[in-house]
Amino acid sequence: MTDAPTTDRWIRYLNLLQLALAGIIILAPTVWMVLSSLKPSFEVTAYPPTLVFTPTLENYVQLMKTTPFASYAVNSLIVTIGSTSLGLLFGIPAAFAVSWTRVSWPAILTLAARMAPGTLFLLPWYVMFRQVGMIGSYTALILSHAVITLPIVIWVLLPSFDGIPRSVYEAAQVDGCSVTRILWRIALPLVGSGIAVAAILAFVFSWNYFLFALVLSNGDSKTLIAAAFNFIGEGSTQWGALMAAATLIALPPLILAALVQRWLVSGLTLGAVKG
Amino acid sequence: MASISIRNLVKRYGNFAVIPDLNLEIADHEFVVFVGPSGCGKSTLLRIIAGLEPITAGELYIGDKRVNGIPAAQRDIAMVFQDYALYPHMRVYENMSFALELRGTPKAEIDARVKRAAALLHIEPYLDRKPKELSGGQRQRVAMGRAIVRNPKAFLFDEPLSNLDAKLRGQVRAEIKALSQELKTTMVFVTHDQIEAMTMADRIVVLQSGAVQQYDTPEAVYERPANQFVAGFIGSPAMNFFPVEWRGEAVVFSQDGARVPLGLESCGPLRQAGKGVLGIRPEHFAVAADPADGMAVMIKLVEPLGSDTLIHFDLAGASAIARVDPSLRPKVGDRVSLRPQPGKTHLFDSTDGRVLQ
Ligand SMILES: Nc1ncnc2c1ncn2[C@@H]1O[C@H](COP(=O)(O)OP(=O)(O)OP(=O)(O)O)[C@@H](O)[C@H]1O
Ligand SMILES: [Mg+2]
Repeated sequence: MTDAPTTDRWIRYLNLLQLALAGIIILAPTVWMVLSSLKPSFEVTAYPPTLVFTPTLENYVQLMKTTPFASYAVNSLIVTIGSTSLGLLFGIPAAFAVSWTRVSWPAILTLAARMAPGTLFLLPWYVMFRQVGMIGSYTALILSHAVITLPIVIWVLLPSFDGIPRSVYEAAQVDGCSVTRILWRIALPLVGSGIAVAAILAFVFSWNYFLFALVLSNGDSKTLIAAAFNFIGEGSTQWGALMAAATLIALPPLILAALVQRWLVSGLTLGAVKG
Repeated sequence: MASISIRNLVKRYGNFAVIPDLNLEIADHEFVVFVGPSGCGKSTLLRIIAGLEPITAGELYIGDKRVNGIPAAQRDIAMVFQDYALYPHMRVYENMSFALELRGTPKAEIDARVKRAAALLHIEPYLDRKPKELSGGQRQRVAMGRAIVRNPKAFLFDEPLSNLDAKLRGQVRAEIKALSQELKTTMVFVTHDQIEAMTMADRIVVLQSGAVQQYDTPEAVYERPANQFVAGFIGSPAMNFFPVEWRGEAVVFSQDGARVPLGLESCGPLRQAGKGVLGIRPEHFAVAADPADGMAVMIKLVEPLGSDTLIHFDLAGASAIARVDPSLRPKVGDRVSLRPQPGKTHLFDSTDGRVLQ
């Protein structure tokens, strides 16, 4: 009893240490990136790094002037929103069906596809899409990114659907609901927060994925992240502009990730059945 | 409104036969109560009738239609689940109106029916709440309401009043009974509560290990139990049992050879069988005026219930209970002389428990 407060204090210290470590690993590169993007170009690669400097937007101006950044951003948005929607459209019913029937191999198959290296798909796709003349089209990019989004949607939603008490489905059946009706009227409203999380995660992963776009897009349909990759090594690398691009690219996923955590608190199924 | 007919029903989970072979005919408009110990298959049977559980073998008819392969949604049955199974995202009102809305019932009629059921179950103040904002008993009443707003072929209730306090339970019980007489819909009701079973049922099904032990009116099940299991299960406190034998033209306790003060008219079956189990309900003991007429016992424990008093005592090596008049003012340590009321005793086979007659 008497040493309980001391133990508590140690746990608190360890917590702080953990947070500090996580902070350094995750935040340090981010801070460095953002700061660099605000430095005058000659200071970006200075060693040792300068900590005191006059912030400037010159890198951002430079970026907008020398690259079609905005149109890449539009490409990224189209591909990401398209593939996220596609993932939700097929992933929601798929996850529900897997949870309902308890036949899980389709879900495992999509997971395997997600875990396989992207290069596995890349070559066959390149050949297939070229044969039908779709290289560089949004359709090709959206379809390929669905390989990213579909498994995310299915695997985020599966536990949500599984969390709905079986007897709630059964009550709906007895009340006269067909299976499709149960999906729409009972299951979907109960996994609302799961869908929000799935959509945001799918968006972020699709937005960040660059391998498919690197190969399957052309100059006009390049996504931001694939384009930024090309900035490196185009003649003398413009580190400052690159940092500005990286900062802008990272912004939407970071904002969305911050939103996800608010949705993660669910507790919606509470009160359905006896305690 | 329909009869329910179960023929040679078998239900297995893996190798375990929850229901080995069951036949049951429930008539149209009938109020049937299933009773039996926990795990005997009451819920399973209800779920099979509702169409939520596939049948291993046998046939199920609702009305004159064979419904074996018909999904639950098309059976037009209303059911109250043992664990309530309310829709968590819907308010109480919507929980109750949902099934009617699916059937395209006009809004005004839905409203009238929901209001009526809510009044019956005393849940009007909660119509705008979500299930998670209700107590267990309130949720249970909503589950009940969700069923009774409907006008189905049959109602299935799985222990729908178990979580209500005694007073509310009594009220709702009476209202369901009245409702069943008004709606004239077939009702199947599962309960652990003896009073519920006795007061509501047209007929009681006593189940054990998935087999029907007796299917008869409450009076018959109480007065003429088909076997020792039914005799011990129906009635509260439970019937007392004593191993007895026919010895020297009289009935004696096997344990100590003491004579049982029984009229000869109740002994006939024992004369042939030689031995058996004697069953006496607590309420069927009488206090003998002349101590020589009865069996002397010493009171171990007294439980005054108000209307009557239970006394616990040992008789022929077994612990037994008798229900006596409170005016007797029994006290622990008192000696009383008891005798079975004539014609109210039961005799069962000592090996298989079937009634001896
Ligand atoms: N899905 C299942 N798999 C295997 N066994 C099951 C399954 N469901 C029920 N059982 C078994 O079937 C038997 C009957 O269960 P059931 O729920 O019908 O009992 P019950 O009579 O309703 O009991 P209670 O009064 O406790 O509600 C039990 O022994 C139970 O363990
Ligand atoms: Mg049960």
